[in-house]
Amino acid sequence: MKRTILFLIGGLLLAGIIHIAVVFMVPYYADRDAWAQMRQFGPDDQFHILPLPQAGSEPLRSLDPWMLHAVCRFSLQDGAVRITAALPDDFWSIAIFDRRGRNMYSLNDRSAERTRLDLAVITPVQMAQLRQDPPPSLETAIVIELPIDEGFALLRVFVADETKFQAAIRAVESADCGGTL
Amino acid sequence: MRLLFDIALAILVATTIGFSTAWLAVEHGRLFGAVNIGTWTAWPEAGGPNSDPYSVALLARSGEVPLGAGEGLAFIAVTDSDGEPLSGNCVYIVNGQTPAARLWTLTAYDAEGRLMVNPAHRSGFQSREILRHPDGSFSISVSPDVATGNWLPTARLENLQLVLRLYDTPLTTATDFVNIDMPRIDKVQCR
Repeated sequence: MKRTILFLIGGLLLAGIIHIAVVFMVPYYADRDAWAQMRQFGPDDQFHILPLPQAGSEPLRSLDPWMLHAVCRFSLQDGAVRITAALPDDFWSIAIFDRRGRNMYSLNDRSAERTRLDLAVITPVQMAQLRQDPPPSLETAIVIELPIDEGFALLRVFVADETKFQAAIRAVESADCGGTL
Repeated sequence: MRLLFDIALAILVATTIGFSTAWLAVEHGRLFGAVNIGTWTAWPEAGGPNSDPYSVALLARSGEVPLGAGEGLAFIAVTDSDGEPLSGNCVYIVNGQTPAARLWTLTAYDAEGRLMVNPAHRSGFQSREILRHPDGSFSISVSPDVATGNWLPTARLENLQLVLRLYDTPLTTATDFVNIDMPRIDKVQCR
């Protein structure tokens, strides 16, 4: 009896290990995460406009139907990624996500204090190398150091009503994420 | 024979409890960092750089793209202010004020976070178009049937959720959430 209880306790400890292992492994086996789903919109290193979320046809889950979304998957393996866009004079925001869909950095039009977005995503190592010979664009861009290999940028532009839709589309079409510093 | 039985028992306990608790935690997720105001819940940290492993697993399975601290904050309600689950067969009044934000939107989703088909082609309201009371507060009728004023149509489903997104809000750290006003969700009638 005593030995059975000991085995039961051992089983519970093992259950804890399995629990932790499963939770940590889920992201590596998820094939419907944001990153994977974004492949359907088009190739990497360019922005793709997502169709406006409507009942029955939502490009991603739990999107705000008042926002026009555009996404760009990028990799930092070949150097920094520069994101530029000419955006409207109303609410917009941009967020940089890592491969696992964590929102690593975000800013909105007010905090950017401009309508011309110029943002560079760079790893700390690349930044250290770049400081030795800083290119002029380093002065003008908002530089974000993130320890990630790959990720995606998500642009949200507020569409107050139908009359603002064309302007929002034009703004999002101007977005580019294929450049470098 | 006893030993074999004990080992089998231990393995059985380990696998059933280990996998079932992991599944429960990931499926119903969002275990840590919830901020509750009335019936509304937000997870200011959950989608960010300091996400806990459960939130990361949940993100991986849902494919959601959460709002960052620089963008805004989403509050979710799955029950009314009396704690009853929100149902598509009931009429609710969302009434009150929102915390400070430059812009907010209120959107109705089904239980899985999908928008609902409705003849009015409306799935939400935003702060600039809404009709307000003289004191600045607002009332929105969440109802499957046509209503006057601010009508947010729903489909006749078992479960609904309402998401209030505050864009460009100063609410970020836990201390900001003391004494803030969120609208009430009151049930009017069901059928």
